Amino acid sequence: MSKGIKVAVTVVVALASFALALVALPAAAQDSTSAAPGGAGNVLRIGWAQDPNTLNPFVGQDEEAYTVWALNWDLPINFSPKTLGPAPGIAESWEVSEDRKTVTLTLDPGMKWSDGKPITSRDVKWSLEQLGGHGILFAGYTSGITRIETPDPETVVIHTKRPDARIVGGLFVYVLPEHVWGKVPLSRLKGQYQPKLPLVGSGPYVVTEYERRKIITMERNPNWRGEPGPYDQVQFIRYGNQDAVERALDLGEIDLVREVESSSFARLGEQEDVSTRRSATPAYTQLAFNLCPERLCPDAEFNPAVQDRTVRQAIAYAVDREKLNEIATRGTSFVANGILPSYYKAFYETPEQTYPFDPDLANQMLDEAGWTLNDDGVREKDGETLSFDLYVRSESPSTVQMAKLIAEMTREIGVEFNVQVVSTDKLYDLTVRYQDGKPAPAFDTFIWGWGGDPYDPSFLLSILTTGEIGGSSDAFYSNAEYDRLYREQTGIFDTEERKAVIQRMVEITQRDLPYLVLTEDPQLQAYRTDEIETIEPICPEETGDLFCDQVSYDGVLALRPVAGASSETGGGNAGLAGLIGLVVGFIGGVIVTRMRSQGRDEPLELSE
Amino acid sequence: MSGERGVRELLLGTWRGRFGIAVLALTVFVAAFGGLLAPYDPYASSTDVLEPPSWSHILGTTENGSDVFSQLLVGTRVSVVVGFAAALISAVVGSIVGLAGGYFGGWTDRILDAFENWFLVIPTLPLMIVLARVLSPSLTVLIAVIGLTSWAGTGRIVRAQVLTLRERPFVERARALGAGDTYIIRTHILPNTLPLIFANTVLIVAVAILSEAALAFLGLGDPTRISWGTMLENAFSSGAPSAGAWWYVVPPGLCITILVLAVSLLGFLFEEYINPRLREAT
Amino acid sequence: MSGRWLAGKVGAAVLTLVFVLVFNFFLFRAVGDPTSQLARLPGATDEQIEQLREDYGLDKPLLGQFADYVGDTVTLDLGISQTTREPVWDEIVAALPWTLLLVGTGTLLATLIGAWMGVKAATHRGTRTDDGLLGFSLFTYASPEYWIGIILILVFAVAWPIFPAGQQVTPGVEFASWFDEALDVVDHLILPMTAMTLMLLGQYFLIMRSSMVDVLTEDFITVKRATGLSRERVINRHAVPNALLPLVTLSAIQFGAVAGGAITIETVFSWPGLGELSFNAINDKDFPMLQGTFLVFSFGVIFANLLADVLYFYLDPRVQSR
Repeated sequence: MSKGIKVAVTVVVALASFALALVALPAAAQDSTSAAPGGAGNVLRIGWAQDPNTLNPFVGQDEEAYTVWALNWDLPINFSPKTLGPAPGIAESWEVSEDRKTVTLTLDPGMKWSDGKPITSRDVKWSLEQLGGHGILFAGYTSGITRIETPDPETVVIHTKRPDARIVGGLFVYVLPEHVWGKVPLSRLKGQYQPKLPLVGSGPYVVTEYERRKIITMERNPNWRGEPGPYDQVQFIRYGNQDAVERALDLGEIDLVREVESSSFARLGEQEDVSTRRSATPAYTQLAFNLCPERLCPDAEFNPAVQDRTVRQAIAYAVDREKLNEIATRGTSFVANGILPSYYKAFYETPEQTYPFDPDLANQMLDEAGWTLNDDGVREKDGETLSFDLYVRSESPSTVQMAKLIAEMTREIGVEFNVQVVSTDKLYDLTVRYQDGKPAPAFDTFIWGWGGDPYDPSFLLSILTTGEIGGSSDAFYSNAEYDRLYREQTGIFDTEERKAVIQRMVEITQRDLPYLVLTEDPQLQAYRTDEIETIEPICPEETGDLFCDQVSYDGVLALRPVAGASSETGGGNAGLAGLIGLVVGFIGGVIVTRMRSQGRDEPLELSE
Repeated sequence: MSGERGVRELLLGTWRGRFGIAVLALTVFVAAFGGLLAPYDPYASSTDVLEPPSWSHILGTTENGSDVFSQLLVGTRVSVVVGFAAALISAVVGSIVGLAGGYFGGWTDRILDAFENWFLVIPTLPLMIVLARVLSPSLTVLIAVIGLTSWAGTGRIVRAQVLTLRERPFVERARALGAGDTYIIRTHILPNTLPLIFANTVLIVAVAILSEAALAFLGLGDPTRISWGTMLENAFSSGAPSAGAWWYVVPPGLCITILVLAVSLLGFLFEEYINPRLREAT
Repeated sequence: MSGRWLAGKVGAAVLTLVFVLVFNFFLFRAVGDPTSQLARLPGATDEQIEQLREDYGLDKPLLGQFADYVGDTVTLDLGISQTTREPVWDEIVAALPWTLLLVGTGTLLATLIGAWMGVKAATHRGTRTDDGLLGFSLFTYASPEYWIGIILILVFAVAWPIFPAGQQVTPGVEFASWFDEALDVVDHLILPMTAMTLMLLGQYFLIMRSSMVDVLTEDFITVKRATGLSRERVINRHAVPNALLPLVTLSAIQFGAVAGGAITIETVFSWPGLGELSFNAINDKDFPMLQGTFLVFSFGVIFANLLADVLYFYLDPRVQSR
């Protein structure tokens, strides 16, 4: 019996010391790793729920990829982080010809890729032609270009069909190193090609490590032409879901989250050592009306009353956009005035007609137009009733909420909205329906959104042009004057002059209301104040976000780490140690009791 | 088998039976009238986001500021409807396949058996996911997908029962007297297999409820309706666990657990009742 | 005789696998034309879509497509993921070990703990221990495993943060040795493994308990007791090994349920295995990936079932004499 206890005690002690060793070792190891490379471990850690599916810009389609690309590659002409106007990028300077159909870019001859090869006009030409011609997300920007010449390594001459301001103010096509990408056949670039690492680049950081569904590490580009970035490394850590990202921020595992849920925005803001930032974006949410004219869509299905302008204007007066924002998005969005988001500072001006909330005026307008209330409290005239279907996407709870609020608000003026919650696919099918080769949209109204380019508003303005019917247009609006002004503004390089034209376009749509734009979407971000010192919102100045997400590298260059902040990855193995202790204790206990009981109860066994 | 009294004794005589019946009755009641009982519109959002339980919201609020308790009440319906409808489909398909295979034998049986085998072996949730993703999710699709993937067990049991019944003297006598197949199946085979089908179907209700919740949690539920599974999905994807919002996470899961437990206990009871040999083991 | 029995089982497994292939092929061809999704992008031109159809071989006749599909599958060419543009097979190979780790440890623990609990309950039949164990396992049996996972996160990663609740290893850390890294993986494994264990525990417990109850009433146990052996010794040496038999087969047959659990649990804990691959494929409508993971899950389950049959064949003499 005493022998048995001795054995047990020995085993327990052995196991316990083993466990202690297990726990002590990793703690020591972690201290040594955090201090190892690059001095004070100067790492900016950005957390996200999902990482890019691929880093190949020919096929990549997610926002996360843009976030990485924007640090890795420069644009031919960059965005100024303050105004979002044109600023030097790959091109040091540029010149627009007299007839505005030719733009000449001049490159800095000393510029080098991160692998040491010079950056030349060949790279620019190749990128504009190949990436601009075939990249899924880049194909639209170069549509106006007819010819690109490279008379010498420092000069690129771009010819366009007609004057195109986007060549200077919105050529959102990354310049890739031709000596790397040009060797790969186009079919592979558009297929399975996965770029080699380090990802040869021209920006301040280049991707050196990419473990899919885990981490992307970017390190300083030794040949970066500007001031070296404040961090040795930028890490993008993927957590798989939003919940885990926010938890990681709470625990200090990451310094910055590029997008947080609107539901947790307020809570994170109250957290100690965490600050939040709500910034404007070039995206909005709109109530769209089916305005497809008979000649273009003979088989469209809708309530014709939706094409009565007075009705739409009355609806606009009856919808309290302030309240929509306050309730449906809990005040995180911005109230919108017209189809140009205020994000486009250089072009934005509050339109004259903003439809302030005024249900009395709305009622009066409908009365005057001869719409009378029927027994159900809905207005009608000549057999037409002001009762519309309002489609919303089930994937977007906030717009579902908006739809219900709108239906409540317009009931006051005798307009009925039947809210139909459908899947995104279903709504898409309703809007792009075709019959006999012609568009046949089958809806009265719906709520959805659009997002524009970071500084050129042309894409957002193009949606309502007649030419986009059968393309992007989902209100099927057609107005000759608007189309003419659209073409005109694309050719104006002078910002003030262009602003005046855009202003007139906004006023036309505010009068006709193909869209009643409800809110401007925000970008909601959060960061740790004990890791990142001060942040001056940029892209654009004051109203922009924390680090120019997806737009430019300037934001990351402007961040400053808190002096002496530890970027040691937290965690440790406290729980594991405890668990091991528990298991060891349990096994020990079992052994001790087992020995005892055997000694006592089983003389038979011992006598053997 | 002494009919009605036995069943009453079975359901009300044990704590398991009483618990099962009580939970089931309450759930069906809430499923029918939950919308009327709910203190708030379950879809209405407010600015009170992820508030802990209070007198105005006894189970707190969701990430959209909706009332958790109201969502719980309204969400009951989807679980109950999908659970029972899918189990019904499964019972019908399983019985037909089992009856046909067992009764007719030969090639019919062999083909149906291979088919059954396939459904028995294939991992059910991945199969449901594939089907639900390919057809776009709605309540009908959910019911069909769950019902059509979970019938194989019933089929197998029914087939075995029919095989033994087919050889019984009273069936052979009927056949000798010139009775047709439909007549024999209707009057002799089916009545003797129904209790078995019933017990098995009760167990499938539990499986169907769990399946609906799992599909909804993976984002394949009916997007236009609240169910306990979609509540868990919304809670998880909106970061409720990180916010420590236990009042949003615990109730839907607990409801699923209690309902599944109640239905399973009833199913076990019926199984024991039909097959008394099982009673010894528990 | 026994050889023929085994051959029959293998044949049935192969037939089932063929069924899976046919099903997989027709379902995705019939409804999931991979180009329909791309056509929705405003930037995609008709040529791009045509090119894509050609890339996926959708311009060929159906039978030819099926032949291609079977040929490709046999040579482990499962196509290209529509989102990552990596070969599906490569992604599956990278994810498989993590799923096996989670599923393996979870199943092992569930078997051990479930068997232990089953023995305890059966030997203390009708007592409070029995009731408690029965109640606990019925509860875990009836509750959704992903919900248990979220509760574990809520308790052990938020309220009392002692375990990490996502990924398989701390990101961004360079480990001094493989040992530190292994320890870190174990640390990350604990919560998802616990969820997996709790999910499977109930089944094992119930089977072990009833199997144990059966064995304890059999004649040879009574005989052994009569020879004067202690109760504990009879239970451990004679009753338990006999009662374990159904458990062996159960652990193989349960693979179907395990596959489902892997999907939801891996989703909750961002565990980078097959389940998370499937979940991402669901969200991205990445049909080649969904098809590939389904195939692997099916293959795994069919194989496990075959294994169960074979094991049973060797362990239970009654089957051999058939």
